[in-house]
Amino acid sequence: MKNTLRQVFHSSKFLVGFILFVLILLTIWIYPFLNPGNPLEMIGVGTFAKPGTYVSVYDALNTGTETLRLPDADDKRVDQLLSDADRVSMLEWFDIMEIDVSDLDATDTEALLDLWFEHYDQSIKPKGMTQAKRNFYKRLDNSVRQIRSADTLKIMHPEEGELVERGSINKTDYVNVGDVANVKLLPLGTDNFGRDVLKEMVSATGTSIVIGLIAGIVATLIGLTLGLLAGYVGGWVDDIIMFITNIFTVIPGFVLLILISYSIGQEQRGASVVAIVIGLTSWTWTTRSVRSQVISLRNRDHVNLSKLSGHSLVRIVATDILPYIASYVVMAFILQVSSGILAEAQLSLLGLGPKTTVTPTLGLMMNWAMLYSAHTNGSWWAYFPVILTITLISFSLNLMNTGLDQVFNPTLRD
Amino acid sequence: MKKLLALLLAAALVMSLGTVAFGAEADVSELPREETLYFAGQQWGTVLSWNVMGTNQNNSMTIAGGPSGYRTLMFETLFMYNFMNGDIIGLLADSYEWSEDLTQVSVVLKEAAKWCDGTPVTAADVAKTWDVSVQVGNTTGSTYGAYIDAIEPTGDKTFVIKAKLDEEGRPVNPLKVTDFLTGAPIAQAAWIDTLVERNGGDAVSILNDPGDDVVWSGPYTKYYADDQKVVLVRDDNYWGQDESMWGKLPVPKYIAHTIYADNPAGELALKAGEVDVCQQFIGNIQDLWLKDGLPISTYYEEAPYGVCLTMPTAWYNMNMPVLAENPALRKAIAIAVDYDTIIANAMTNQSPSFADVPRSLMNPTDGEQALYNHDAVADLQWAGNDIEGAIALLDEAGLVDTDGDGWREYNGEKISLNAVCPNGWTDWQASMEVVAAAGDKIGVEITTLYPEWDIYQTVFTNPNQTEYAIFMWSPEAASPSNPWTRVNQFLGKDYVGVENNWSGNWGQYVNEEADAIIKQIPLTTDEAELIDLYTKLTEIYLTEVPSFSLMYRPSLFHAVNESVWTNFPAGDDGREIPPADCTDGYGIAALYDLELVG
Repeated sequence: MKNTLRQVFHSSKFLVGFILFVLILLTIWIYPFLNPGNPLEMIGVGTFAKPGTYVSVYDALNTGTETLRLPDADDKRVDQLLSDADRVSMLEWFDIMEIDVSDLDATDTEALLDLWFEHYDQSIKPKGMTQAKRNFYKRLDNSVRQIRSADTLKIMHPEEGELVERGSINKTDYVNVGDVANVKLLPLGTDNFGRDVLKEMVSATGTSIVIGLIAGIVATLIGLTLGLLAGYVGGWVDDIIMFITNIFTVIPGFVLLILISYSIGQEQRGASVVAIVIGLTSWTWTTRSVRSQVISLRNRDHVNLSKLSGHSLVRIVATDILPYIASYVVMAFILQVSSGILAEAQLSLLGLGPKTTVTPTLGLMMNWAMLYSAHTNGSWWAYFPVILTITLISFSLNLMNTGLDQVFNPTLRD
Repeated sequence: MKKLLALLLAAALVMSLGTVAFGAEADVSELPREETLYFAGQQWGTVLSWNVMGTNQNNSMTIAGGPSGYRTLMFETLFMYNFMNGDIIGLLADSYEWSEDLTQVSVVLKEAAKWCDGTPVTAADVAKTWDVSVQVGNTTGSTYGAYIDAIEPTGDKTFVIKAKLDEEGRPVNPLKVTDFLTGAPIAQAAWIDTLVERNGGDAVSILNDPGDDVVWSGPYTKYYADDQKVVLVRDDNYWGQDESMWGKLPVPKYIAHTIYADNPAGELALKAGEVDVCQQFIGNIQDLWLKDGLPISTYYEEAPYGVCLTMPTAWYNMNMPVLAENPALRKAIAIAVDYDTIIANAMTNQSPSFADVPRSLMNPTDGEQALYNHDAVADLQWAGNDIEGAIALLDEAGLVDTDGDGWREYNGEKISLNAVCPNGWTDWQASMEVVAAAGDKIGVEITTLYPEWDIYQTVFTNPNQTEYAIFMWSPEAASPSNPWTRVNQFLGKDYVGVENNWSGNWGQYVNEEADAIIKQIPLTTDEAELIDLYTKLTEIYLTEVPSFSLMYRPSLFHAVNESVWTNFPAGDDGREIPPADCTDGYGIAALYDLELVG
């Protein structure tokens, strides 16, 4: 046993897969301590806040400031409010209004703005200009007005129906982020419900792995039992089991999975029910391969000896056959876990996964991201990390499987 | 040699398949882009019939819409409703006048109004349409049958609509009669005769007749329809170019609607400029112009971008004792729900908040908001997310957690409710998630449930169902008879116990006092008295909470891509053309003002 383990961990593929998987498990275990709370809590009002650090504007106003005179601060501010494309659009406006701009340098912000404020009026409707374009110029106008706004903004406070000045902000005022009372880091932003994607994803990864494990155990148990029986007992038992197995092999497993999930109805579809259903539809290949391995084993001398000694069927199978195929079963189990996780993701993506709100799963996260068109509106953080996680889990499991295969499969052994 | 032959055969097969597919495409791909206005979000699936007197036509471009705006591209109503200002504008008819006692309304048809075959539209046409509608029980017949007794011609171009009277000789509901004026399409008497004759007078076969030979009066008619596309072509002999109506023809020669598989497909087509007018909910629609820089705009430039006329509502099921017997529970859940999150998430802020437009029985339009006394009910209104208030309400009502499992009990049993809406209705699903989250915070277990649409519709329209505790449906949006119709849907007794109930009061709430007031309103014409009655109803509604609205929502979405066409109606253009997809009610006026870009 010890020797086998040493051999197994000697395989670099297995080792990499194993370390990856352990890292994932560690994250699931440790992260909730760092960021406690309900992973389904809707902290954001609104959909898909992008990843980044969020600083409370209100608290920042109340935080002591330092004055920094940064030489490029004004330029940066202007760049954000007035891009090069905006300057071109302004020139187009002058062109439409037939204003002579031959001696205007578009990079000269002051001159450009002077001319703009002189001629632009939100109520003008140039002939043939679309509503969308007119709205664009309105927004541009509002934006460039900020460039010309005063260097100091006043903070007003309503008191008994009147506004009382409470402070002011200068363009050169800076706060240290560390001093602000409320700063929230959202490494992966929020999803369509305003939930913290990273927190939700860590929790979902745990659920998905559990679903994979349950599905794997169910599938392996059924496959192993039927395979052992069919292979060892043979005869009509074999015929019947293989008849059933072949039927299930021919029906595409995923179609069956969809039909069963649909007919169970959403009310009953908890995470564990979905896991069991996945297990119930994915045992056939285990049965077939276990059976063929058992057939090659059952006429070995040690098995015949056991038979002659009058040992029971259960004992012979458990002590004389199972140990010889154990490595194969473990490998098959690992693959079942991996495919169980994928199956949950696929089912949930079709809206047939576990019922929502109770537990997050990776598939459900992708389902909601898709329903809210995250893939077309550029909110990559809502689904891409999820896909990456699923890939990593399956990759680590498959890597472990390949490593084991290299150790146990005589034809692959170095 | 054999192989070569097989290869040739296969190649021939592939090529012939190609030509077949191409042939089907050819007809519609030839539509000149500069003469065609493309739509999305109205027609789903193949058109089944053009029979305006039938049912189940699945013909959303020509036979659709209600009193808030009938889609008058091909079949026309007597009048057009403008939900922006409540105006009722003449179409086939010129004017109408109520009798003093509100028992009948006399209508004068336009002199110029003609059918596509050149014959004039007469009072006999209207009377025939009505008689046969009632006889066969089509939408017009079943919607207005309870309110209109008869339509009698008094001349070639004049007729009277007689309201149904109750035992005391008062009209049952004059408001619904007005709805008929803007909501019922008129068909030609001669054509109806042909229709009835060829179906031997059998109601079922009349309703299912494909109506390919239908006679229309509107500016467009069918040009092409299959499972990919519906195309209408302008009828250049349209009577409406007469000075007494529009004075010109609508601008686009063709109206085309590609049949998209789902909302995202339609949205992509809008972004690509393949669709000009899109009647679909598009989340974060401002990103289309702010981030993507597309020439797309909505009716209003800022949120809520459209005109919200309806309020998707969560109904409490009064068949469940725990809900029926505990107004405190109903109110507690309603005040605990975080509506700002619903509006920001589900509607991506395309709805005013309940702080902007406090909840009542009214939609957010100025006309309806003026119909109740805001100060009188201010204490009863809530903006949501009031967890402490909800907990206090429940504690006070004795609905407490007695066994320490974190959930409250009623009569010793854990209160466990479900929140239900159809699967795939994303914005409603998101709302139900928020309702469930509120339950979690106040110790009431609420789980979400999303059955498929075909299951959902049979359950929630069943007056005896106890499967759904909190479920969603929208009341009526706008029409001449609103807000009365909507109020009746919220509080009226008429619909309680009705099998296959699509009409209203889906929670089966009964309140005699409210019902008496509702019956009184249609006969009340005094403005002050009306406000008084509506205020009383609002009080009852906000105290009893038989249902709670989750958001305000446009009944039609209106996003336009100005790559080809421009001068679509906009909130600030002073024309007061409603954002009704350029097709419904007075919204069709937009088609006469369109211009090509550049």
